[in-house]
Formats: sequence, C-alpha cells, structure tokens
Amino acid sequence: MKTPSPVIRLQGMSKTYRMGEVRVHALIEASLAVAPGELLALTGPSGSGKSTLLNLAGLIDTPDAGRYLLDGRDVSQLDEHARTLLRRDAIGFIFQGFNLVPVMTVADNVDYPLFLAGVDAPMRKQRVAEILEKVGLSEQARRRPDALSGGQRQRVAVARALIKRPRLVIADEPTANLDSHTADQIITLIHDLCQVEGTACLVATHDERMTTRCDRIVSMRDGCILADGLDTPHVAHATAA
Amino acid sequence: MQWLKFAFLNTLRNRRRSVVTLTIAAMGTAAMLLAAGFAEFTYESLSESAARNAGHLIVARSEFVEKEEDVPMQYGIQNYAALRKTLLADAEVRYLLPHIQFSGLISNGDKSVVMMGTGIDPDSEFLVKGPFLKITAGGVLSSTRTGAPQVMLGEGLAKSLNAHPGSSLTLLASTSENSLNAVDVEVKGIFSTGIPDYDKRSIYTDIDTAQKVLLSDRISQVGIYLASMELSDTARPRIEKLAGNGFTVQNWQDKAFFYRSVRDLYNRIFGGLGGIIALIVLFVIGNAMSMAVIERTREIGTLRALGTAPAQLTRVFSMEGAILGGLGAVLGGASALLISIFLIFAGIQMPPAPGYSTGYPLQVAINPIIYLIVIALIVALSTLCAMLVSRRSARKPIVEALGHV
Repeated sequence: MKTPSPVIRLQGMSKTYRMGEVRVHALIEASLAVAPGELLALTGPSGSGKSTLLNLAGLIDTPDAGRYLLDGRDVSQLDEHARTLLRRDAIGFIFQGFNLVPVMTVADNVDYPLFLAGVDAPMRKQRVAEILEKVGLSEQARRRPDALSGGQRQRVAVARALIKRPRLVIADEPTANLDSHTADQIITLIHDLCQVEGTACLVATHDERMTTRCDRIVSMRDGCILADGLDTPHVAHATAA
Repeated sequence: MQWLKFAFLNTLRNRRRSVVTLTIAAMGTAAMLLAAGFAEFTYESLSESAARNAGHLIVARSEFVEKEEDVPMQYGIQNYAALRKTLLADAEVRYLLPHIQFSGLISNGDKSVVMMGTGIDPDSEFLVKGPFLKITAGGVLSSTRTGAPQVMLGEGLAKSLNAHPGSSLTLLASTSENSLNAVDVEVKGIFSTGIPDYDKRSIYTDIDTAQKVLLSDRISQVGIYLASMELSDTARPRIEKLAGNGFTVQNWQDKAFFYRSVRDLYNRIFGGLGGIIALIVLFVIGNAMSMAVIERTREIGTLRALGTAPAQLTRVFSMEGAILGGLGAVLGGASALLISIFLIFAGIQMPPAPGYSTGYPLQVAINPIIYLIVIALIVALSTLCAMLVSRRSARKPIVEALGHV
C-alpha cells in the first residue's frame, strides 16, 4: 500500500528569540511530517518549543532556518500576504482560550472563515448549518459565545477551524480549560472530524486524555524533538520526516 | 456589508464609551454648526444691509472713484435720465438707487450742525431699504411732494437740533460752482440706522432738493438693486458694457468696509474655534479607538491567524470610527437644526455691537451646504483617525498579538 504524502513536512526548522541581551533558542533543527487525517500530539514542559513549532506550522511566525513544505509546496519564504492567504484557505486554528469573537453569534463565528474565503452566502449558510449539526450546536446558532458553556465554546472553535475543510489544524491546548467529560467530547470531535476530512492535526497538549487518543506523540524539550511517536508502540500510521 | 455589520457590532461592545464618544462628536458638530450658522447669519444680515444701502452694483464715473473732487459734483454723472433708461434695459435690474452725496451745515436758526447729506429717489430707496431703516418719528420722503423741500434727519441730529417732524431747518452747502447756497427745508421724518455716530450727522433728501442745494443737475452715483445678491458677479460685466466707457462698476463688497472687517474677524475667530472643536472631537474618537484597539489586540491576533488581512482589520476599525463620528455628526446636526429653529421663534436679542445703539436678533443661519460640509468633515476625520490608530496594531506580529494580556 502506498504511503500518503504528508500534509506538512518540517525540515531542520529553527527559531531564536531575542529577550533583551539574551538569545533564546526556542526551536532547534526540528523535523517533522504529518499525514492526512493524522492527529499528532506535541508534548513537553513549558518552554520546550511546542508553541513555537505550532506557530511556525500555522504560518503565524517565520523560521530563522529550515524548510517548511505544505502539501509539497515550500512555504518557508513566503511574504506576509501570501502567508495570510494560505492561513485563510488551508489552516484552521483552535486556541486554548477559544478566542471567539464575542459580538458575533455562534453561526457568524463559524461562518467567518468562509466569508473571508469569499464563499457565496447560500453555500456558507448550508455549510454552517451542517457543521453546527455535527458539533451539536444547531440550537445555539443565534446565541452569542458568552451565553455558552466552556465546552460549547470550544465546539464552536472546532467548527470554525474545520468549516473551510483545511489541510492542517493547529490546536494549542484545546482541552486545558475543560472538565474531563467535555474534554473527551472535544477530543472525539477533533479526532473524528479530522479523520473524515483527511485533515492533519497538530495538537500541543499536556492532557493525557488527549495524548492517548492521538495517532502519534512527539515529545519536546529545550527546543528539540526528543522522541517521535514513530518509535512508540501505539502509533497507528505515522509518516517519517 | 458583512464588514459594516461587524464594525457596527463592535461599537456596541463598550456602550458607555461609545455613547460618550458619540455625544462628544454630536456636541462638537453642533457647536461647529451653530458657530458657522451664527457667522453666516451675521454675514447675510450685513451684506443685505450693505446692498440695500448702496445697491448690489454701484455705477459711477471713473474719476469719481479714482480721484477726489475739488468742488461738489465735479465728477458726477451728467445725464442720469439716459443712463437710467440704459440700465433698466437689463432684465435682472429691479431698482435703481441714484445718490447725491454732499456735506455742509444744517441749522435751526439758533444752532448749526455739520451734516452729511444723501440725495435719493424716495420711491425706490425706501422700498429697497425696507426693514433696514427704522423710522422713529414722522414718515418717509415722497417723490410726489408739493410743498417745501423735505429732509429726514438721523435720530442724533434731530435731537441735537431739537427738530421734530414739521420743523423748519436750513441746509447750507458748497455748490458745484464753489459758492455757498442755502435752502429752507421741512423735517418729514426721523430715522435711526442703529449707528449713533452716523445718526448724529446724516440726512436724507430727495434728488431735486440736493441738486437745488448744490446748484447741479448731476448725481454722484447709481446703485443697482438686482433680483438677488447672487446675480452681482454675473451682472457686473453686462452693466459695465451697458454703462460704457468712462464709468466704473463696483460690487457691493468693494464698498462694504464694515462687512469685510466683520467677515475677516469672524472667519478667524470661528475658524480657530472650529479647528479646536475638530481637534477635541478627533482626540476623543482617537482615544476611544485606541482603547478599543488595545482591548482587542488578542482578537486582532486571532482574526489575523484565521486569515484576515491587516487592511481588512484597519477597514473595520475605520468603519467603527465612521459609524461613531457619523452618528455623532448627524445627531449634532439635528440638535443644531432644532436650536436654530428655536432661535427663530425665541426672539432672543444680542447686545449692541461696538459702535451700534441697538442690539440684533440672535439667529443662526441654516445652510444645508455648511451642514453637509461639517458632517462630512467629522465623518472623514473620525474615519481617518480610527484608521491611523488601528493601522499599527493590525500589522502587529500575530504571535505577539495573541500573547497580549
């Protein structure tokens, strides 16, 4: 059976920040690949480089060195405008704090990425209804985020990230602010939706419930990848960098 | 449309701040409109008064305008009847106001006082002056008088001579032949222009009496009263052509020194005031938008991560500024309109201006063009201000914006 091409491939990516006089090596020659439909967990203590890796993979930050291939295309040297368009069309984000727009309704929050992408209104309406049905929030479509529970808000965020059927989803501690039961629901939701859509998902997490449901775990420390789940027994279908 | 809806919803996030911003924009707009309307009303009143005194256009012999006369009427218009016929041929000319300017003494037998006389055509002159000349006693001159020559005295002059309607006085002036001449006149009425210094010296008499005093058949100049003031500029070249060589045609503004002085002064005062108000409105909107931008830095990061371009975010903030400024401006415009209408009926009097003896009504002109300009200015400044304030934040690195606390 032919191995599917990875959605993203990071090769020797490095990032250094300057904090006053001190240079902090946030990421050191990290290499990683994520296959379509694969749910990959990035674990490690604070300051290990998880967020930096997510930022680079999500094209919201630029590397100092290394290559980044998204669907086989080198995107590491793109300018800001091109990165914005790529984020708009190909990458979904799920944040720890949900980051919903409070003045928009649930439906408008979910609709926003499609509106940005220029999808016509009837199509948007249909897709919003479909995904809200999938995340179980059809009844809450006209509500504002502040009228929802934490779990419901994160489901809205998941719907917002996946509605445009992105190639890659970046999730930063998506279950950190949720109780066990709700966290389970969110994990299942992300897992199922990514599998159905063939979306690669990169999750930074400390949550064991999350890591056990992921297809692959990558451990990080001090900006380096210590262990890749390719070598771990419970990996289902990992793709080597 | 979606962006506009988003911008509108954003203005509702912090309602108290939006209400304060909107109120200050409204107050600023109203203040600017009321100040501009007051100045406009003053200009209109002064220009109307100037035009009704001298005419919209003034025709005189060129020497009369350029030189000083050695003897009265030296550079006067010789054949007024012919000139009158020529000028009345223009369809936009409504009235002609022939004037003879002279000076001399006026005496009641016991006391003689310096006077400045104006010979006029009573029929057209008082019709045109209308409410701009207040008759305090007696009546106005008539072109169909049958008895002795008549004069109207300024209030201060009448008081000085202890004259009343029906009193007999003597006019004494240098003639065009450089001799002295005296004519007995009867007081027909007493008037007030509201300028005490002028009322102490001025008299009106008819053209015939003035010519009789000066022993001349000339007149000094002809004022032309047009169908409306706006026609002055377009009518001028036609009148110049009709009057022919040897005549100079002046616009009413050329002779309205007081009008020009007040206009210059008010333009500076109210222009400065308007600038300060605009700055305050700008500062308030800028401050409100700055706070909104800072509060929403994290959200800006989120929206950027979702693929929103910085220009799109700047556009939303600009729309918010435009909405706040626009609503404030419209509210301010409505307030200014209501206040202006109230003042028309309230009859509030302003104290007399320096050099005047009577006050004038406090009214504010309602000029749709000024309303449009001021509202457009406030909207444009608010939009620009919001755009400038948000521009930098919209371009902030996404990671930095997302990490904002």
